[in-house]
Amino acid sequence: MAQPIIEFKHVAKQYDDTVVLKSVDLEIEAGKFYTLLGPSGSGKTTILRLIAGFLEASSGDILFEGERINDVPAEKRRVNTVFQNYALFPNMNVFENVAFGMSIKGKPKNEIKAKVAEMLELVKLGGYEDREISELSGGQQQRVAIARALANDPEVLLLDEPLSALDYKLRKDMQYELREIQKRLGITFIFVTHDQEEALAMSDWIFVTNEGEIVQNGTPVDIYDEPINHFVADFIGESNIVPGVMREDYLVSFAGKEFENVDGGMRPNEQVEVVLRPEDLDLVAEEDGKLVVTIDDQSFRGDYYEITAHDDDQNEWQVQATNPAVIGERRGLYFDPEDIHIMRLNESEEDFDARLEQYDDSEEDEEGADEQ
Amino acid sequence: MSNKRTFSYTVPYILWLVLFVVAPVVLLIVQSFGNIYGHFTLDNYATYFSSGTYLRMTFNSVFFAFIVTVITLLISYPMAYIMSRLKNAQFWLLLVILPTWVNLLLKAYAFIGLFSKTGTVNNFLSFIGIGPHQIMFTDTSFMIVAAYIEIPFMIMPIFNSLVELDRSLINAARDLGATPWQTLTKVIIPMSMSGVKAGIQAVFIPTLSLFMITRLIGGNRVITLGTAIEEHFLVTQNWGMGSTIGVILIIAMAATMFFTRDRKKKGGRRRG
Amino acid sequence: MDNKPKKWSYIYLVFVFILMYAPIFYLIFYSFNKGDYMNGFDGFSLRHYQDMFADTRLMEILVNTFIVALLSSVLATLIGTFGALGIYNTKHRTTKNLLLSLNNVLMVSPDVIVGASFLIFFTMIGMSLGFGSVVLSHIAFSIPIVVLMVLPRLNEMNPALIDAARDLGASNYQVLSRVVLPYAWPGILAGFFMAITYSLDDFAVTFFVTGNGFSTLSVEIYSRARQGIDLSINALSALMFLLSLLLVIVYYFISNYSVKSSKKKRGGAAGMVVHQ
Repeated sequence: MAQPIIEFKHVAKQYDDTVVLKSVDLEIEAGKFYTLLGPSGSGKTTILRLIAGFLEASSGDILFEGERINDVPAEKRRVNTVFQNYALFPNMNVFENVAFGMSIKGKPKNEIKAKVAEMLELVKLGGYEDREISELSGGQQQRVAIARALANDPEVLLLDEPLSALDYKLRKDMQYELREIQKRLGITFIFVTHDQEEALAMSDWIFVTNEGEIVQNGTPVDIYDEPINHFVADFIGESNIVPGVMREDYLVSFAGKEFENVDGGMRPNEQVEVVLRPEDLDLVAEEDGKLVVTIDDQSFRGDYYEITAHDDDQNEWQVQATNPAVIGERRGLYFDPEDIHIMRLNESEEDFDARLEQYDDSEEDEEGADEQ
Repeated sequence: MSNKRTFSYTVPYILWLVLFVVAPVVLLIVQSFGNIYGHFTLDNYATYFSSGTYLRMTFNSVFFAFIVTVITLLISYPMAYIMSRLKNAQFWLLLVILPTWVNLLLKAYAFIGLFSKTGTVNNFLSFIGIGPHQIMFTDTSFMIVAAYIEIPFMIMPIFNSLVELDRSLINAARDLGATPWQTLTKVIIPMSMSGVKAGIQAVFIPTLSLFMITRLIGGNRVITLGTAIEEHFLVTQNWGMGSTIGVILIIAMAATMFFTRDRKKKGGRRRG
Repeated sequence: MDNKPKKWSYIYLVFVFILMYAPIFYLIFYSFNKGDYMNGFDGFSLRHYQDMFADTRLMEILVNTFIVALLSSVLATLIGTFGALGIYNTKHRTTKNLLLSLNNVLMVSPDVIVGASFLIFFTMIGMSLGFGSVVLSHIAFSIPIVVLMVLPRLNEMNPALIDAARDLGASNYQVLSRVVLPYAWPGILAGFFMAITYSLDDFAVTFFVTGNGFSTLSVEIYSRARQGIDLSINALSALMFLLSLLLVIVYYFISNYSVKSSKKKRGGAAGMVVHQ
């Protein structure tokens, strides 16, 4: 594996008594699109600001291409940021904003001019040089902010919830465009968001943060299919989480019945949590189901119906179905053994990865476990 | 990381705080405990509190300032209220502010012409058959001129508090059945109290110390705390006594600010 | 109540405005009087203006007054702007509040107290009274208003702008000169104008610290007014009124510019208050 471009070794951050980041380790490889995903206050923006140099780590080492950069000030780091509310200089026009970094470095005028034009072209704002910031829409300001950061030729671009102020449609477009820009330039993007959908759509690799820690990292597919714990399962996508007991390898018991599944490596009769994604569940005739549920409620979501039901043990089930159901009706619930995902209580990420490698290598692609 | 360098920018400002804010106040207080030879003494305070002249002067000064504050408040509240309802409120506010940019001495000087024995006001009084009167160098003339000068400073804060007042509150009061009078007394006036208090501060404290008006208009009949300080510092050169009266004035100021402080703000309520 | 103001309220409004402006226009009106008094207009004449301009002492004082005003307001703006930056950069809450309270002491203190305490201070350090003590005093009482004009601008600045500038490679000095000061510029300009008007308007403090040799316009008007009516003062007041009008208009445009650029509806005329 190539040397990581950015590396955190036991990095922690605290203010007086408040710990915002507990000993974090991470590695960022050059040229990929990374996402730091977590609820607000989970430490994801702190990690970003530590990389940018706006914060100093309380302990641990931050490495850039193998060199320790803890004491390098922000203006000397080969990293640039797209800020949450863009932070465009209101007293300068579009050209002056994009040219700011280069004019600080004292680059020649014609070079600056050419670069600004190129960058604005890249973000599809060609010819906007003379506009004032106040004349631009939110989406256009967003693009100027990206152009301004990229004009400095950073090796890593940090994006701090850059799309959160945009409306839904525009956000979708920008997600696609950001991904395009990243592929075209081939530089590393580190994107911070609390929107799991955004993270899943854009990233090569996701770090899920919670309460000052990275709780899981992996490809979007890994994280969606194999959440490590209750928090991740709940935070990423919709989940049905019910308590269960692992009778033996590949046999789990929940909702009063035993089911065949594909997980193993646990103690016999270990208490676990069972995750079933609503889109993996099918409503079938009562006698064909693995479980029997009573329909409580349903709402139309455009491309599917979201149906809530409960089984005879009073567990609640969410189901996404293409056809409507009848409230109060008893129906069967069907799912495949692969749809059942088991989460051990308090399992560390190392143990989790090791277990997956041991038992699942037939299905997993190799990437999931080689990170540590 | 940038703290040290930013600090060096601020050195002149810190120097100013020490030399021109802290030091003078300390010196004034020290001076008030000194006699004309510079020895420590409580004589100045003893003299002040045992002398009928000083106490009467202080009482008069507070009394005049009180009357002037009441007059300006009575004139200014309706004025600010009407202005706050008008379309070009900011323009009318500008018209209120403009006279404050005219030198105070010129305004006082105008009244010398207006109030003199053969002046315009007496001409008018004679014309309607009730004059002429001695107007200059009376308590009344002092209070009129002081009120004239202070009116804009009362209108402004009240106006600001009325402009900030949420219109829908007034509509809500009317909607709930309040008469216009009830709306005024139960909603509008209580909610503009912070402006009224700020106005009282802005008028009462300066009126205690307006020595030039008492000299020019009040003659030597009206003596305020300000006049007494000026007298002791620049005429009789008794700085110790002057400083003592200065300390009294500072205490009066602090008391005024204490009684008119915005209690709601302390509860964390912020406007705007 | 929410319908249009009634007719009597317009009458009241006009009446108060007449009261407020009558003495000023009365002064200006009589500056054109042929006679020597402010009672009875004897005919139009510009001779009081001629007298005023021929009065070399008055002209000298006029020049002095403007030198004091410009010098003190430039220095007060410099010191006050960096003071505001210092307060803005102070993270510790108690220290910040203490600095703010100390900043406002001279704003709320009665002028006589300021004047008397400065007089004690100058005597104490052995400084002779005159031009120097007057300029120093004017700088001293103008600094807080500059701080109060600049600080809100700094506070409403998005702090991410500073991060953004540093992120793009700006040094501390470049952050200040290219981002922070340009952003605060309307506030700095407003503070400068307020400092000029404070200086031009001041009487009480100057009166205490000016000594015998040096005089400003306010002090001169005071001593002449104590001797009675002199219509060249009226002529002077007409000029001063025009100057005030000019300053108000300039100030109004500055503050409107800053209001526009910060997209806020407040401010405008509200900040332009000079207290005696």
